[in-house]
Amino acid sequence: MRGAVLLALLLVLASVAALLHGQIDASPSVLWQGLLTGEGPGALILDTIRGPRVATALGAGAVLGLSGTIFQTLFRNPLAAPDLLGFNAGAGLAIIAGIAFGIALPAPVLAAIGGLAVAVIVGALAWRRGSGTPALTIILVGLGTGFTATALATFLMTLLPGTAAAEAQRWLTGSLAARNWGHAAQVWGAGIALSLLAFSQARPLMAMELGAELATGLGMRAELARWRISGIAVLLAATGVAVAGPVPFVALMAGPFGARMTGARSPAARMAAGAVAGALIVMLADLLARASLPGLQLPVGVATGLLGAPYLLWRLSREMDKGDL
Amino acid sequence: MLEASSLTLAYDGGPVIEALDLSLPGDKVTAIIGPNGCGKSTLLKALARILPVQSGRITLDGEDMGHMPPRALARRLAILPQAPRAPEGIRVADLVRRGRLPWRGLLSPWREEDRAACDGALAAVGMTELAHRDLAELSGGQRQRAWLALVLAQGTPWLLLDEPTTYLDLTHQMEVLGLLRRLNRQSGTAVVSVLHDLNLAARYSDHLVLLGKNGLIAAGAPETVLTPEHLGAAFGLRARVMPDPVTGTPMVVPLDIPETEVSA
Repeated sequence: MRGAVLLALLLVLASVAALLHGQIDASPSVLWQGLLTGEGPGALILDTIRGPRVATALGAGAVLGLSGTIFQTLFRNPLAAPDLLGFNAGAGLAIIAGIAFGIALPAPVLAAIGGLAVAVIVGALAWRRGSGTPALTIILVGLGTGFTATALATFLMTLLPGTAAAEAQRWLTGSLAARNWGHAAQVWGAGIALSLLAFSQARPLMAMELGAELATGLGMRAELARWRISGIAVLLAATGVAVAGPVPFVALMAGPFGARMTGARSPAARMAAGAVAGALIVMLADLLARASLPGLQLPVGVATGLLGAPYLLWRLSREMDKGDL
Repeated sequence: MLEASSLTLAYDGGPVIEALDLSLPGDKVTAIIGPNGCGKSTLLKALARILPVQSGRITLDGEDMGHMPPRALARRLAILPQAPRAPEGIRVADLVRRGRLPWRGLLSPWREEDRAACDGALAAVGMTELAHRDLAELSGGQRQRAWLALVLAQGTPWLLLDEPTTYLDLTHQMEVLGLLRRLNRQSGTAVVSVLHDLNLAARYSDHLVLLGKNGLIAAGAPETVLTPEHLGAAFGLRARVMPDPVTGTPMVVPLDIPETEVSA
Protein backbone atom coordinates (compact mmCIF):
# COMPACT_ATOMS: atom_id res chain seq x y z
CA MET A 1 0.00 0.00 0.00
CA ARG A 2 2.79 2.39 0.94
CA GLY A 3 4.47 1.55 -2.34
CA ALA A 4 1.34 2.39 -4.31
CA VAL A 5 1.08 5.79 -2.61
CA LEU A 6 4.74 6.45 -3.29
CA LEU A 7 4.33 5.51 -6.97
CA ALA A 8 1.34 7.85 -7.35
CA LEU A 9 3.19 10.63 -5.54
CA LEU A 10 6.22 10.23 -7.81
CA LEU A 11 3.93 10.51 -10.82
CA VAL A 12 2.40 13.75 -9.53
CA LEU A 13 5.84 15.20 -8.77
CA ALA A 14 7.20 14.21 -12.18
CA SER A 15 4.17 15.74 -13.90
CA VAL A 16 4.55 19.03 -12.02
CA ALA A 17 8.28 19.07 -12.78
CA ALA A 18 7.49 18.49 -16.44
CA LEU A 19 5.14 21.46 -16.40
CA LEU A 20 7.72 23.70 -14.71
CA HIS A 21 10.75 22.74 -16.72
CA GLY A 22 11.39 23.56 -20.34
CA GLN A 23 13.19 25.92 -22.65
CA ILE A 24 11.93 28.67 -20.37
CA ASP A 25 11.58 27.50 -16.78
CA ALA A 26 8.46 28.60 -14.97
CA SER A 27 8.23 29.03 -11.23
CA PRO A 28 5.51 27.23 -9.31
CA SER A 29 3.89 30.56 -8.43
CA VAL A 30 3.64 31.62 -12.06
CA LEU A 31 2.01 28.28 -12.87
CA TRP A 32 -0.33 28.60 -9.91
CA GLN A 33 -1.31 32.12 -11.03
CA GLY A 34 -2.01 30.82 -14.48
CA LEU A 35 -4.13 27.98 -13.14
CA LEU A 36 -6.21 30.30 -10.94
CA THR A 37 -6.65 33.28 -13.28
CA GLY A 38 -6.36 31.65 -16.70
CA GLU A 39 -4.08 34.49 -17.77
CA GLY A 40 -0.38 35.28 -18.05
CA PRO A 41 2.61 33.05 -18.91
CA GLY A 42 1.46 30.33 -16.47
CA ALA A 43 -1.81 29.92 -18.34
CA LEU A 44 0.01 29.86 -21.67
CA ILE A 45 2.26 27.04 -20.43
CA LEU A 46 -0.64 25.03 -19.02
CA ASP A 47 -2.94 25.63 -21.96
CA THR A 48 -0.73 25.42 -24.98
CA ILE A 49 2.93 24.72 -24.41
CA ARG A 50 3.34 22.01 -21.80
CA GLY A 51 -0.14 21.07 -20.57
CA PRO A 52 -1.15 19.00 -23.61
CA ARG A 53 2.30 17.45 -23.78
CA VAL A 54 2.17 16.30 -20.17
CA ALA A 55 -1.41 15.03 -20.55
CA THR A 56 -0.46 13.14 -23.71
CA ALA A 57 2.65 11.71 -22.05
CA LEU A 58 0.61 10.48 -19.07
CA GLY A 59 -1.97 8.83 -21.31
CA ALA A 60 0.52 7.29 -23.73
CA GLY A 61 2.70 5.98 -20.89
CA ALA A 62 -0.29 4.50 -19.11
CA VAL A 63 -1.67 2.62 -22.14
CA LEU A 64 1.78 1.34 -23.09
CA GLY A 65 2.45 0.22 -19.50
CA LEU A 66 -0.94 -1.46 -19.25
CA SER A 67 -0.46 -3.20 -22.59
CA GLY A 68 2.96 -4.52 -21.57
CA THR A 69 1.70 -5.79 -18.22
CA ILE A 70 -1.16 -7.64 -19.92
CA PHE A 71 1.17 -9.35 -22.41
CA GLN A 72 3.66 -10.27 -19.69
CA THR A 73 0.89 -11.82 -17.60
CA LEU A 74 -0.76 -13.57 -20.54
CA PHE A 75 2.46 -15.10 -21.85
CA ARG A 76 3.98 -15.54 -18.38
CA ASN A 77 7.19 -13.98 -19.56
CA PRO A 78 8.72 -10.63 -18.57
CA LEU A 79 10.10 -10.25 -22.10
CA ALA A 80 6.65 -10.35 -23.68
CA ALA A 81 5.83 -6.71 -24.38
CA PRO A 82 4.34 -5.05 -27.47
CA ASP A 83 7.65 -3.35 -28.28
CA LEU A 84 9.63 -6.61 -28.34
CA LEU A 85 6.71 -8.48 -29.94
CA GLY A 86 6.84 -6.07 -32.88
CA PHE A 87 3.32 -4.68 -32.43
CA ASN A 88 4.52 -1.11 -31.79
CA ALA A 89 6.70 -1.26 -34.90
CA GLY A 90 3.67 -2.44 -36.88
CA ALA A 91 1.61 0.45 -35.60
CA GLY A 92 4.45 2.82 -36.50
CA LEU A 93 4.79 1.38 -40.00
CA ALA A 94 1.07 1.82 -40.65
CA ILE A 95 1.22 5.49 -39.70
CA ILE A 96 4.29 6.15 -41.88
CA ALA A 97 2.57 4.29 -44.72
CA GLY A 98 -0.46 6.48 -44.16
CA ILE A 99 1.67 9.60 -44.59
CA ALA A 100 3.64 8.23 -47.54
CA PHE A 101 0.61 7.08 -49.51
CA GLY A 102 -1.71 9.83 -48.34
CA ILE A 103 -4.21 7.49 -46.71
CA ALA A 104 -6.86 9.68 -45.10
CA LEU A 105 -7.44 7.66 -41.94
CA PRO A 106 -6.89 9.00 -38.42
CA ALA A 107 -3.55 8.02 -36.85
CA PRO A 108 -5.06 5.81 -34.10
CA VAL A 109 -7.02 3.80 -36.68
CA LEU A 110 -3.91 3.31 -38.79
CA ALA A 111 -1.89 2.37 -35.71
CA ALA A 112 -4.54 -0.12 -34.62
CA ILE A 113 -4.61 -1.71 -38.09
CA GLY A 114 -0.80 -1.94 -38.18
CA GLY A 115 -0.53 -3.36 -34.66
CA LEU A 116 -3.27 -5.92 -35.20
CA ALA A 117 -1.84 -6.94 -38.59
CA VAL A 118 1.54 -7.67 -37.02
CA ALA A 119 -0.16 -9.53 -34.16
CA VAL A 120 -1.98 -11.76 -36.64
CA ILE A 121 1.24 -12.33 -38.62
CA VAL A 122 3.21 -13.20 -35.47
CA GLY A 123 0.39 -15.40 -34.21
CA ALA A 124 0.15 -17.25 -37.53
CA LEU A 125 3.93 -17.72 -37.87
CA ALA A 126 4.36 -18.92 -34.28
CA TRP A 127 1.15 -20.97 -34.12
CA ARG A 128 1.37 -24.63 -33.29
CA ARG A 129 -1.30 -27.27 -32.90
CA GLY A 130 -2.61 -27.65 -29.38
CA SER A 131 -2.11 -24.07 -28.11
CA GLY A 132 1.29 -24.97 -26.72
CA THR A 133 3.49 -22.37 -28.40
CA PRO A 134 6.26 -21.41 -25.96
CA ALA A 135 6.33 -17.69 -25.12
CA LEU A 136 9.95 -17.44 -26.25
CA THR A 137 9.04 -18.62 -29.75
CA ILE A 138 6.37 -15.92 -30.00
CA ILE A 139 8.80 -13.29 -28.73
CA LEU A 140 11.50 -14.24 -31.23
CA VAL A 141 9.02 -14.32 -34.12
CA GLY A 142 7.73 -10.94 -32.89
CA LEU A 143 11.25 -9.49 -32.77
CA GLY A 144 11.86 -10.57 -36.36
CA THR A 145 8.53 -9.25 -37.59
CA GLY A 146 9.14 -5.99 -35.73
CA PHE A 147 12.55 -5.53 -37.39
CA THR A 148 10.92 -6.08 -40.76
CA ALA A 149 8.24 -3.49 -40.01
CA THR A 150 10.85 -0.96 -38.86
CA ALA A 151 12.94 -1.55 -41.99
CA LEU A 152 9.88 -1.05 -44.18
CA ALA A 153 9.04 2.16 -42.33
CA THR A 154 12.58 3.47 -42.86
CA PHE A 155 12.32 2.61 -46.54
CA LEU A 156 8.96 4.39 -46.88
CA MET A 157 10.51 7.49 -45.34
CA THR A 158 12.85 7.79 -48.30
CA LEU A 159 9.75 8.38 -50.44
CA LEU A 160 8.81 11.43 -48.36
CA PRO A 161 9.95 14.99 -49.06
CA GLY A 162 12.80 16.23 -46.84
CA THR A 163 10.91 18.02 -44.06
CA ALA A 164 8.20 15.39 -43.81
CA ALA A 165 10.88 12.69 -43.66
CA ALA A 166 12.64 14.45 -40.79
CA GLU A 167 9.36 14.79 -38.93
CA ALA A 168 8.52 11.13 -39.56
CA GLN A 169 11.99 10.08 -38.38
CA ARG A 170 11.55 12.02 -35.17
CA TRP A 171 8.13 10.52 -34.64
CA LEU A 172 9.40 6.99 -35.27
CA THR A 173 11.92 7.45 -32.46
CA GLY A 174 9.06 8.26 -30.13
CA SER A 175 8.31 11.92 -29.62
CA LEU A 176 5.99 14.10 -27.59
CA ALA A 177 6.92 17.37 -29.31
CA ALA A 178 4.10 19.67 -30.43
CA ARG A 179 1.27 17.67 -28.88
CA ASN A 180 -2.09 19.45 -28.59
CA TRP A 181 -5.22 18.76 -26.57
CA GLY A 182 -6.57 16.75 -29.50
CA HIS A 183 -3.80 14.22 -28.98
CA ALA A 184 -4.43 14.14 -25.24
CA ALA A 185 -8.18 13.66 -25.71
CA GLN A 186 -7.52 10.90 -28.23
CA VAL A 187 -5.21 8.85 -26.02
CA TRP A 188 -7.32 9.38 -22.90
CA GLY A 189 -10.64 8.68 -24.60
CA ALA A 190 -9.56 5.51 -26.36
CA GLY A 191 -7.34 4.59 -23.41
CA ILE A 192 -10.13 4.70 -20.85
CA ALA A 193 -12.52 2.70 -23.05
CA LEU A 194 -9.87 0.04 -23.74
CA SER A 195 -8.79 -0.06 -20.10
CA LEU A 196 -12.33 -0.93 -19.06
CA LEU A 197 -12.25 -3.80 -21.52
CA ALA A 198 -8.81 -4.82 -20.28
CA PHE A 199 -9.83 -4.88 -16.61
CA SER A 200 -12.90 -6.94 -17.51
CA GLN A 201 -10.37 -9.62 -18.49
CA ALA A 202 -8.69 -9.70 -15.07
CA ARG A 203 -10.34 -12.97 -14.07
CA PRO A 204 -9.65 -14.77 -17.34
CA LEU A 205 -6.05 -13.56 -16.92
CA MET A 206 -5.92 -15.17 -13.48
CA ALA A 207 -6.59 -18.49 -15.21
CA MET A 208 -4.38 -17.86 -18.26
CA GLU A 209 -1.51 -16.97 -15.96
CA LEU A 210 -1.50 -20.58 -14.72
CA GLY A 211 -0.79 -21.85 -18.24
CA ALA A 212 -3.08 -22.79 -21.12
CA GLU A 213 -3.68 -26.34 -19.88
CA LEU A 214 -4.76 -25.41 -16.38
CA ALA A 215 -6.76 -22.47 -17.77
CA THR A 216 -8.64 -24.90 -20.00
CA GLY A 217 -9.23 -27.12 -16.99
CA LEU A 218 -10.67 -24.09 -15.19
CA GLY A 219 -13.25 -23.64 -17.93
CA MET A 220 -11.53 -21.19 -20.28
CA ARG A 221 -11.41 -21.43 -24.05
CA ALA A 222 -7.69 -20.76 -23.79
CA GLU A 223 -6.91 -20.17 -27.46
CA LEU A 224 -9.82 -17.77 -27.82
CA ALA A 225 -8.95 -15.96 -24.59
CA ARG A 226 -5.36 -15.55 -25.77
CA TRP A 227 -6.49 -13.84 -28.99
CA ARG A 228 -9.14 -11.75 -27.28
CA ILE A 229 -6.84 -10.46 -24.53
CA SER A 230 -3.96 -9.97 -26.99
CA GLY A 231 -6.28 -7.95 -29.24
CA ILE A 232 -7.21 -5.58 -26.43
CA ALA A 233 -3.57 -5.18 -25.43
CA VAL A 234 -2.47 -4.51 -29.03
CA LEU A 235 -5.12 -1.79 -29.32
CA LEU A 236 -3.93 -0.24 -26.07
CA ALA A 237 -0.36 -0.12 -27.35
CA ALA A 238 -1.52 1.26 -30.72
CA THR A 239 -3.38 4.04 -28.91
CA GLY A 240 -0.13 5.08 -27.27
CA VAL A 241 1.91 4.75 -30.46
CA ALA A 242 -0.59 6.90 -32.37
CA VAL A 243 0.12 9.95 -30.20
CA ALA A 244 3.72 9.40 -29.09
CA GLY A 245 5.31 7.16 -31.71
CA PRO A 246 6.65 3.69 -30.98
CA VAL A 247 8.43 4.79 -27.77
CA PRO A 248 10.70 1.85 -27.01
CA PHE A 249 10.91 -0.17 -23.77
CA VAL A 250 8.15 1.61 -21.82
CA ALA A 251 5.78 -1.35 -22.15
CA LEU A 252 8.63 -3.72 -21.33
CA MET A 253 9.72 -1.98 -18.13
CA ALA A 254 6.42 -0.70 -16.68
CA GLY A 255 4.91 -4.00 -15.47
CA PRO A 256 7.84 -5.34 -13.44
CA PHE A 257 8.69 -1.84 -12.17
CA GLY A 258 5.11 -1.19 -11.04
CA ALA A 259 4.76 -4.60 -9.42
CA ARG A 260 8.10 -4.24 -7.65
CA MET A 261 7.24 -0.81 -6.27
CA THR A 262 3.71 -1.61 -5.11
CA GLY A 263 4.04 -5.29 -4.25
CA ALA A 264 0.98 -5.93 -6.45
CA ARG A 265 0.29 -9.63 -7.01
CA SER A 266 -3.08 -10.18 -8.68
CA PRO A 267 -3.37 -9.47 -12.42
CA ALA A 268 -5.74 -6.53 -11.84
CA ALA A 269 -3.44 -4.90 -9.27
CA ARG A 270 -0.38 -5.47 -11.47
CA MET A 271 -2.21 -3.97 -14.46
CA ALA A 272 -3.07 -0.84 -12.48
CA ALA A 273 0.48 -0.56 -11.15
CA GLY A 274 1.88 -1.12 -14.66
CA ALA A 275 -0.25 1.68 -16.11
CA VAL A 276 0.88 4.17 -13.46
CA ALA A 277 4.50 3.03 -13.80
CA GLY A 278 4.29 3.43 -17.59
CA ALA A 279 3.06 6.99 -17.20
CA LEU A 280 5.86 7.71 -14.73
CA ILE A 281 8.54 6.25 -17.00
CA VAL A 282 7.41 8.32 -20.01
CA MET A 283 7.13 11.45 -17.88
CA LEU A 284 10.63 11.04 -16.41
CA ALA A 285 12.11 10.07 -19.76
CA ASP A 286 10.61 13.13 -21.42
CA LEU A 287 11.98 15.35 -18.66
CA LEU A 288 15.38 13.74 -19.02
CA ALA A 289 15.32 14.09 -22.81
CA ARG A 290 14.43 17.76 -22.61
CA ALA A 291 16.82 18.61 -19.78
CA SER A 292 19.94 16.62 -20.57
CA LEU A 293 21.39 18.83 -23.30
CA PRO A 294 20.74 22.57 -22.94
CA GLY A 295 19.14 24.05 -26.02
CA LEU A 296 18.50 20.66 -27.56
CA GLN A 297 15.15 18.87 -27.26
CA LEU A 298 15.77 15.16 -27.66
CA PRO A 299 12.77 12.98 -28.48
CA VAL A 300 11.44 11.00 -25.51
CA GLY A 301 12.22 7.73 -27.30
CA VAL A 302 15.95 8.43 -27.05
CA ALA A 303 15.68 8.60 -23.28
CA THR A 304 13.52 5.49 -22.90
CA GLY A 305 15.95 3.74 -25.24
CA LEU A 306 18.87 4.71 -23.01
CA LEU A 307 16.98 3.56 -19.91
CA GLY A 308 15.47 0.49 -21.49
CA ALA A 309 18.43 -1.10 -23.24
CA PRO A 310 20.41 -1.76 -20.02
CA TYR A 311 17.19 -2.99 -18.39
CA LEU A 312 16.66 -5.44 -21.24
CA LEU A 313 20.23 -6.74 -20.89
CA TRP A 314 19.80 -7.15 -17.14
CA ARG A 315 16.47 -8.94 -17.66
CA LEU A 316 17.99 -11.24 -20.25
CA SER A 317 20.82 -12.23 -17.94
CA ARG A 318 18.33 -12.86 -15.14
CA GLU A 319 16.20 -15.07 -17.37
CA MET A 320 19.34 -16.97 -18.34
CA ASP A 321 20.20 -17.47 -14.67
CA LYS A 322 16.72 -18.81 -14.03
CA GLY A 323 17.21 -21.20 -16.94
CA ASP A 324 14.27 -19.78 -18.90
CA LEU A 325 16.49 -18.68 -21.78
CA MET B 1 -18.18 -43.16 -15.47
CA LEU B 2 -15.63 -41.66 -17.84
CA GLU B 3 -15.65 -43.59 -21.08
CA ALA B 4 -13.66 -43.45 -24.27
CA SER B 5 -14.85 -45.27 -27.36
CA SER B 6 -12.68 -45.93 -30.42
CA LEU B 7 -10.57 -42.97 -29.32
CA THR B 8 -7.69 -41.89 -31.55
CA LEU B 9 -5.30 -39.17 -30.40
CA ALA B 10 -2.48 -37.65 -32.41
CA TYR B 11 0.26 -35.10 -32.16
CA ASP B 12 1.97 -33.59 -35.21
CA GLY B 13 4.16 -36.68 -35.44
CA GLY B 14 1.28 -39.10 -35.89
CA PRO B 15 -1.16 -41.13 -33.82
CA VAL B 16 -0.24 -41.74 -30.19
CA ILE B 17 -3.36 -43.65 -29.20
CA GLU B 18 -5.42 -45.56 -31.73
CA ALA B 19 -8.96 -46.86 -31.45
CA LEU B 20 -8.90 -47.14 -27.67
CA ASP B 21 -11.94 -48.30 -25.75
CA LEU B 22 -11.77 -47.59 -22.06
CA SER B 23 -14.07 -47.17 -19.14
CA LEU B 24 -13.03 -45.55 -15.86
CA PRO B 25 -15.11 -46.07 -12.71
CA GLY B 26 -16.69 -42.97 -11.21
CA ASP B 27 -16.20 -43.85 -7.56
CA LYS B 28 -12.67 -45.22 -7.44
CA VAL B 29 -9.01 -44.33 -7.49
CA THR B 30 -7.57 -45.14 -10.91
CA ALA B 31 -3.94 -45.06 -12.03
CA ILE B 32 -2.84 -45.04 -15.66
CA ILE B 33 0.52 -46.77 -15.99
CA GLY B 34 2.80 -47.80 -18.82
CA PRO B 35 6.21 -47.19 -20.38
CA ASN B 36 7.46 -43.77 -21.51
CA GLY B 37 5.93 -42.64 -24.77
CA CYS B 38 2.92 -44.96 -24.58
CA GLY B 39 0.56 -42.00 -24.45
CA LYS B 40 -0.43 -41.98 -20.76
CA SER B 41 -0.34 -38.20 -20.46
CA THR B 42 -1.82 -37.74 -23.90
CA LEU B 43 -4.77 -39.90 -22.89
CA LEU B 44 -5.25 -38.02 -19.63
CA LYS B 45 -5.19 -34.67 -21.45
CA ALA B 46 -7.79 -35.86 -23.91
CA LEU B 47 -9.98 -37.13 -21.07
CA ALA B 48 -9.85 -33.60 -19.63
CA ARG B 49 -10.43 -32.10 -23.10
CA ILE B 50 -7.12 -30.21 -22.96
CA LEU B 51 -6.12 -32.05 -26.10
CA PRO B 52 -8.48 -32.28 -29.07
CA VAL B 53 -9.71 -35.73 -30.04
CA GLN B 54 -8.70 -36.94 -33.50
CA SER B 55 -11.60 -39.38 -33.75
CA GLY B 56 -13.85 -41.35 -31.45
CA ARG B 57 -15.58 -39.87 -28.47
CA ILE B 58 -15.42 -39.42 -24.73
CA THR B 59 -18.47 -39.47 -22.50
CA LEU B 60 -18.74 -38.26 -18.92
CA ASP B 61 -21.56 -40.04 -17.08
CA GLY B 62 -23.11 -40.81 -20.44
CA GLU B 63 -22.91 -37.27 -21.85
CA ASP B 64 -20.76 -36.55 -24.88
CA MET B 65 -17.91 -34.42 -23.56
CA GLY B 66 -17.23 -32.86 -26.95
CA HIS B 67 -20.40 -30.80 -26.70
CA MET B 68 -20.15 -29.63 -23.11
CA PRO B 69 -19.66 -25.90 -22.50
CA PRO B 70 -16.15 -25.39 -21.01
CA ARG B 71 -17.36 -23.93 -17.77
CA ALA B 72 -19.92 -26.68 -17.20
CA LEU B 73 -17.18 -29.25 -17.77
CA ALA B 74 -14.84 -27.42 -15.37
CA ARG B 75 -17.47 -27.75 -12.67
CA ARG B 76 -17.54 -31.51 -13.09
CA LEU B 77 -13.93 -32.38 -13.89
CA ALA B 78 -10.67 -30.81 -12.76
CA ILE B 79 -7.20 -31.49 -14.12
CA LEU B 80 -3.81 -30.81 -12.63
CA PRO B 81 -1.22 -30.81 -15.43
CA GLN B 82 2.28 -32.14 -14.93
CA ALA B 83 4.72 -29.72 -13.23
CA PRO B 84 2.54 -26.59 -13.45
CA ARG B 85 4.28 -23.21 -13.21
CA ALA B 86 3.01 -20.59 -10.79
CA PRO B 87 2.96 -16.83 -11.35
CA GLU B 88 5.86 -15.08 -9.64
CA GLY B 89 5.25 -14.04 -6.04
CA ILE B 90 1.86 -15.75 -5.66
CA ARG B 91 0.67 -16.82 -2.19
CA VAL B 92 -0.78 -20.24 -1.50
CA ALA B 93 -4.22 -18.83 -0.64
CA ASP B 94 -4.33 -16.77 -3.87
CA LEU B 95 -3.41 -19.80 -5.92
CA VAL B 96 -6.12 -21.91 -4.31
CA ARG B 97 -8.76 -19.19 -4.81
CA ARG B 98 -8.24 -19.49 -8.55
CA GLY B 99 -9.77 -22.95 -8.35
CA ARG B 100 -13.10 -21.18 -7.90
CA LEU B 101 -12.90 -19.46 -11.31
CA PRO B 102 -15.33 -21.91 -13.01
CA TRP B 103 -17.94 -20.99 -10.40
CA ARG B 104 -17.59 -17.22 -10.76
CA GLY B 105 -18.72 -14.82 -13.46
CA LEU B 106 -16.79 -11.76 -14.61
CA LEU B 107 -18.14 -9.66 -11.77
CA SER B 108 -19.75 -12.02 -9.25
CA PRO B 109 -18.45 -11.38 -5.74
CA TRP B 110 -16.56 -13.80 -3.54
CA ARG B 111 -19.23 -15.88 -1.83
CA GLU B 112 -19.41 -17.89 1.36
CA GLU B 113 -19.36 -21.16 -0.60
CA ASP B 114 -16.18 -20.08 -2.41
CA ARG B 115 -14.50 -19.37 0.91
CA ALA B 116 -15.68 -22.66 2.35
CA ALA B 117 -14.41 -24.58 -0.69
CA CYS B 118 -10.96 -22.98 -0.40
CA ASP B 119 -10.75 -23.49 3.36
CA GLY B 120 -11.81 -27.11 2.92
CA ALA B 121 -9.25 -27.68 0.17
CA LEU B 122 -6.43 -26.15 2.22
CA ALA B 123 -7.42 -28.24 5.23
CA ALA B 124 -7.63 -31.42 3.14
CA VAL B 125 -4.02 -31.04 2.05
CA GLY B 126 -2.88 -29.83 5.47
CA MET B 127 -1.85 -26.39 4.22
CA THR B 128 -4.10 -24.17 6.33
CA GLU B 129 -1.12 -22.93 8.32
CA LEU B 130 0.86 -22.12 5.19
CA ALA B 131 -1.95 -20.35 3.32
CA HIS B 132 -0.33 -16.95 3.56
CA ARG B 133 3.14 -18.01 2.54
CA ASP B 134 4.68 -17.36 -0.84
CA LEU B 135 4.48 -20.50 -2.93
CA ALA B 136 8.10 -20.06 -4.03
CA GLU B 137 9.31 -20.29 -0.41
CA LEU B 138 7.84 -23.75 0.13
CA SER B 139 9.36 -27.21 -0.31
CA GLY B 140 8.53 -29.34 -3.35
CA GLY B 141 6.06 -31.47 -1.40
CA GLN B 142 4.29 -28.45 0.04
CA ARG B 143 4.09 -26.81 -3.37
CA GLN B 144 2.51 -29.91 -4.86
CA ARG B 145 -0.04 -29.94 -2.04
CA ALA B 146 -0.86 -26.30 -2.79
CA TRP B 147 -1.53 -27.18 -6.44
CA LEU B 148 -3.69 -30.07 -5.27
CA ALA B 149 -5.65 -27.65 -3.11
CA LEU B 150 -6.26 -25.51 -6.22
CA VAL B 151 -7.97 -28.36 -8.08
CA LEU B 152 -9.74 -29.53 -4.89
CA ALA B 153 -11.21 -26.04 -4.46
CA GLN B 154 -12.69 -26.49 -7.91
CA GLY B 155 -15.08 -28.88 -6.15
CA THR B 156 -15.52 -31.37 -8.97
CA PRO B 157 -16.68 -35.00 -8.73
CA TRP B 158 -13.80 -35.94 -11.08
CA LEU B 159 -10.15 -35.19 -10.47
CA LEU B 160 -7.47 -35.94 -13.10
CA LEU B 161 -3.76 -35.63 -12.27
CA ASP B 162 -0.80 -35.91 -14.62
CA GLU B 163 2.10 -37.44 -12.69
CA PRO B 164 1.26 -35.75 -9.38
CA THR B 165 4.29 -37.35 -7.74
CA THR B 166 7.06 -36.26 -10.13
CA TYR B 167 10.02 -34.52 -8.50
CA LEU B 168 8.89 -35.69 -5.05
CA ASP B 169 10.84 -38.00 -2.79
CA LEU B 170 9.26 -41.28 -1.72
CA THR B 171 7.75 -39.98 1.53
CA HIS B 172 6.07 -37.09 -0.23
CA GLN B 173 4.91 -39.33 -3.06
CA MET B 174 3.15 -41.54 -0.54
CA GLU B 175 1.75 -38.51 1.22
CA VAL B 176 0.19 -37.20 -2.01
CA LEU B 177 -1.18 -40.60 -3.04
CA GLY B 178 -2.55 -41.24 0.45
CA LEU B 179 -4.22 -37.88 0.38
CA LEU B 180 -5.89 -38.62 -2.95
CA ARG B 181 -7.17 -41.95 -1.69
CA ARG B 182 -8.51 -40.37 1.48
CA LEU B 183 -10.28 -37.78 -0.64
CA ASN B 184 -11.89 -40.56 -2.65
CA ARG B 185 -13.00 -42.46 0.44
CA GLN B 186 -14.31 -39.40 2.26
CA SER B 187 -16.03 -37.43 -0.47
CA GLY B 188 -16.42 -39.97 -3.26
CA THR B 189 -14.28 -37.97 -5.69
CA ALA B 190 -13.20 -40.09 -8.64
CA VAL B 191 -9.42 -39.79 -8.92
CA VAL B 192 -7.50 -40.63 -12.10
CA SER B 193 -3.70 -40.21 -12.05
CA VAL B 194 -0.90 -40.95 -14.44
CA LEU B 195 1.78 -42.65 -12.35
CA HIS B 196 5.26 -44.02 -12.95
CA ASP B 197 5.84 -46.22 -9.93
CA LEU B 198 4.03 -49.53 -10.42
CA ASN B 199 4.16 -50.63 -6.80
CA LEU B 200 2.82 -47.34 -5.48
CA ALA B 201 0.14 -47.39 -8.17
CA ALA B 202 -0.91 -50.88 -7.04
CA ARG B 203 -0.85 -49.89 -3.41
CA TYR B 204 -2.95 -46.75 -3.68
CA SER B 205 -5.35 -47.54 -6.55
CA ASP B 206 -8.51 -49.56 -6.91
CA HIS B 207 -8.29 -49.70 -10.66
CA LEU B 208 -5.29 -49.81 -12.99
CA VAL B 209 -5.06 -49.02 -16.68
CA LEU B 210 -1.92 -50.49 -18.25
CA LEU B 211 -0.94 -49.07 -21.61
CA GLY B 212 1.76 -50.44 -23.91
CA LYS B 213 3.34 -49.06 -27.06
CA ASN B 214 0.43 -50.44 -29.08
CA GLY B 215 -2.46 -49.49 -26.89
CA LEU B 216 -4.33 -50.94 -23.96
CA ILE B 217 -2.81 -54.06 -22.39
CA ALA B 218 -5.11 -54.54 -19.42
CA ALA B 219 -7.49 -52.67 -17.14
CA GLY B 220 -9.05 -53.67 -13.87
CA ALA B 221 -8.12 -54.46 -10.28
CA PRO B 222 -4.36 -54.30 -9.56
CA GLU B 223 -4.17 -58.09 -9.05
CA THR B 224 -5.53 -58.80 -12.51
CA VAL B 225 -3.51 -56.11 -14.29
CA LEU B 226 -0.06 -56.53 -12.75
CA THR B 227 0.85 -60.01 -14.01
CA PRO B 228 4.20 -61.09 -15.47
CA GLU B 229 2.57 -61.55 -18.90
CA HIS B 230 1.12 -58.06 -18.95
CA LEU B 231 4.37 -56.50 -17.70
CA GLY B 232 6.27 -58.30 -20.41
CA ALA B 233 3.85 -57.07 -23.05
CA ALA B 234 3.87 -53.45 -21.82
CA PHE B 235 7.46 -52.88 -20.73
CA GLY B 236 9.34 -55.79 -22.27
CA LEU B 237 10.22 -56.51 -18.65
CA ARG B 238 10.72 -59.90 -17.06
CA ALA B 239 9.44 -59.71 -13.53
CA ARG B 240 7.95 -61.67 -10.69
CA VAL B 241 4.85 -60.38 -9.02
CA MET B 242 4.34 -61.16 -5.35
CA PRO B 243 2.15 -59.79 -2.59
CA ASP B 244 3.50 -56.64 -0.99
CA PRO B 245 4.54 -57.75 2.53
CA VAL B 246 2.99 -54.63 4.03
CA THR B 247 -0.31 -54.24 2.19
CA GLY B 248 -0.78 -57.50 0.29
CA THR B 249 -1.23 -55.62 -2.99
CA PRO B 250 0.74 -56.86 -5.99
CA MET B 251 4.41 -55.94 -5.96
CA VAL B 252 6.56 -56.04 -9.06
CA VAL B 253 10.08 -57.38 -8.60
CA PRO B 254 12.02 -57.14 -11.87
CA LEU B 255 14.38 -59.93 -12.84
CA ASP B 256 17.89 -59.03 -13.87
CA ILE B 257 18.34 -57.94 -17.42
CA PRO B 258 21.03 -60.23 -18.92
CA GLU B 259 24.35 -58.45 -19.67
CA THR B 260 24.10 -59.29 -23.35
CA GLU B 261 20.85 -57.40 -23.70
CA VAL B 262 22.18 -54.36 -21.85
CA SER B 263 25.18 -54.00 -24.11
CA ALA B 264 23.09 -54.61 -27.20
